[in-house]
Amino acid sequence: MPGTTILVHCLVVPEFWAGMQGDDWLNNASTRDAFGDYVENMLENDAKRELAAVASRCKERGLVYESLMRFGNPAETVLVIAGEIGADLVVIGSPRKKGEEGLNSRMELEKLVRGLKCPLLIAPHP
Amino acid sequence: MVYTKKSPALFIIGLVMLLWGWLNASGNIDGVQQYFQQSAYSDHMKVKEKFDAEFRVASEMAAAESKPAPEMKMPHSKFDEAKAFQSKMCYIFGGVATLLGLLIMVWTPKEGNLDYYLSIFPGMAYILLIAFLVRWGLDPMFANWGKAAQPTLGWNFASIFNLNYVVLGIVIGIVIVNVFKIPDWAANGVRTARFFLKTGVILLGALYSATELAQLGAISVLMIGVFVLGSIGVVLYMGRRMNTGNSMTAVLASGVGVCGVSAAVAAAPVVNAKAAEIAYTIGTILVWGVGCMFLFPTVGHMLGMGPVQFGAWAGTGILNSAQVAGAALAFDPHGIETLKVAEIFNITRVLFLPIVVLWLATWYVKHEVGAEKVDLGKVLVAKFPVFVLGFILMFALSTMGAFTPSGHYQGKYFSSEQIKEDKLLKGKETKAIEGELARLKEPAGAKQLQDHFTEKAINIGQRHATPEDAYKGLADLIANKKMSTREQEMLLKAVGKMKGLDAVTANAIDKAGKAAYHSSKTIGAFRDWLAWLFSFGLIGLGMQITMAALKQAGGTPLIIGGVVGTAKALGSLIVVLLFVKEFI
Repeated sequence: MPGTTILVHCLVVPEFWAGMQGDDWLNNASTRDAFGDYVENMLENDAKRELAAVASRCKERGLVYESLMRFGNPAETVLVIAGEIGADLVVIGSPRKKGEEGLNSRMELEKLVRGLKCPLLIAPHP
Repeated sequence: MVYTKKSPALFIIGLVMLLWGWLNASGNIDGVQQYFQQSAYSDHMKVKEKFDAEFRVASEMAAAESKPAPEMKMPHSKFDEAKAFQSKMCYIFGGVATLLGLLIMVWTPKEGNLDYYLSIFPGMAYILLIAFLVRWGLDPMFANWGKAAQPTLGWNFASIFNLNYVVLGIVIGIVIVNVFKIPDWAANGVRTARFFLKTGVILLGALYSATELAQLGAISVLMIGVFVLGSIGVVLYMGRRMNTGNSMTAVLASGVGVCGVSAAVAAAPVVNAKAAEIAYTIGTILVWGVGCMFLFPTVGHMLGMGPVQFGAWAGTGILNSAQVAGAALAFDPHGIETLKVAEIFNITRVLFLPIVVLWLATWYVKHEVGAEKVDLGKVLVAKFPVFVLGFILMFALSTMGAFTPSGHYQGKYFSSEQIKEDKLLKGKETKAIEGELARLKEPAGAKQLQDHFTEKAINIGQRHATPEDAYKGLADLIANKKMSTREQEMLLKAVGKMKGLDAVTANAIDKAGKAAYHSSKTIGAFRDWLAWLFSFGLIGLGMQITMAALKQAGGTPLIIGGVVGTAKALGSLIVVLLFVKEFI
């Protein structure tokens, strides 16, 4: 539809989660599976909550909204998706302030900027 | 889902192993092996010199009698044995890998058991190839470099930092996963590492004696009990004081307290830990674990610790259980005495785990408003470490003598019948013992013996040893010129260590003791296989430690974990040095 803005909201679950259980060897398989399911559910629910919040705000403004969830390296994944959907503009949040607590998985800006074929907008944290 | 990745990798690994096996068997790379196996090669040169000399004499004698030159075969040196071992290992495993590799290349995988089990072999062969490389290549190379650099540096970096095959294997594993990434075809097989570690622990069960297990078990329950429960208490207290969330505090307490990542994995779902909290905890524990694995063996050697002391210290002080095994093998790579002690501590830890998870679950429910109650019985059953049952079974079988005669646990048999003529005591030695016996029968000597026995707590069966026992033992030794029973040997060994004893007598007792003991080949081979199993498992685990996971260490957990981890390492070191004796 010409003239319609399509907002594709992409949420990347950082890949380090794959290595989190790596060093455990004492547990039974059932305990490890329970942990894997637990983390997966939690990440999925967190992501869904985020996506739902944005979806309702898009609806208010009459934007077409699509959401995507991927697992991998943040910068690489954004590049891949931007290519897949032929994005006209990529918007990312600004990096967390130094010293602020949170997962240690930052967007590699250098990699993103070099690989991106379209403009990039960095929205500061409120 | 089809698990087997179509790839020639397994086939190539198989061929590489076969090639190495053939190169060793044919003697084409003797020059290279001379560098890697320096001590074995010097043994080889000695054997060769001796053989050459004998052969020359024999040939000259034959020539003098105008007979044809005699046919003689050079006996095998350690160098020959080492090469033969390498080529045997390579032929067996390389052969299997080549065949299975061919199968993977020609077969179109279909979903099913065959596909599932076939998919683990490429990864296993990959780890094994690295294990060969490290054990036969890097380990001796670093040892050589350490020696070569000693004059310049003033110290041997390879031995100070314990750069042996265990440490190098883990490091290589970490490097591979972080720098090169594990190839797709190997991913499934690499995950089998924990299975091999558990198998190693189960098999290790066959090497303990009942006394050893009872004594080590008692020390470990005491130390683990105090330090695990203590550190959990401290973390819970600090967490409350520093206003860390309840779920964060609980998951950190389990990880820092019991057995590291495994405990965090077990506790996280029970206490509803959030994603960032899990990441923080595991990151913190991994950083500490890997650090301790390098630090502990070096400190242990500097303090001159023995296997029991070091095993107890590593088993208590290192946060993460995987690195306990690593540190124990790094400390003592060519025997498994330390590993035996450390694994008892690991087993005690894992037995504490269900209890701790229950405690934390109860604590969490009490402090968190609106938390759901947990089914305690279900938690207990789900967290019960099944592999410990295997360990107990192996121990029971070996104690009942299913594998070797009883008393095998020291890796030595006692047989006074089979002592060779030249190993019997000589007249000079029995004379010295007679002299000492007369002296010890005097009141002063008797008192010295009694004090010595009391101080060292020497027992015969259930009663304390007396000077009369020593007199009888010494008299028997003089009469028989050898040790007759294990009890006699154990008692006289203690006498031999008494201060002020005549040196010839002490040596004679030592010699008679050594003559009665001899190593069992089966046990020796079994130990070797165990060491391979553990190093295989540890390389595989190393391959699963990612930098991205290490980087998650941070925030309050890093502070609490750092404080409690340091306190635990130092506290257990002091306790071990003060109270744990090398007596088992």
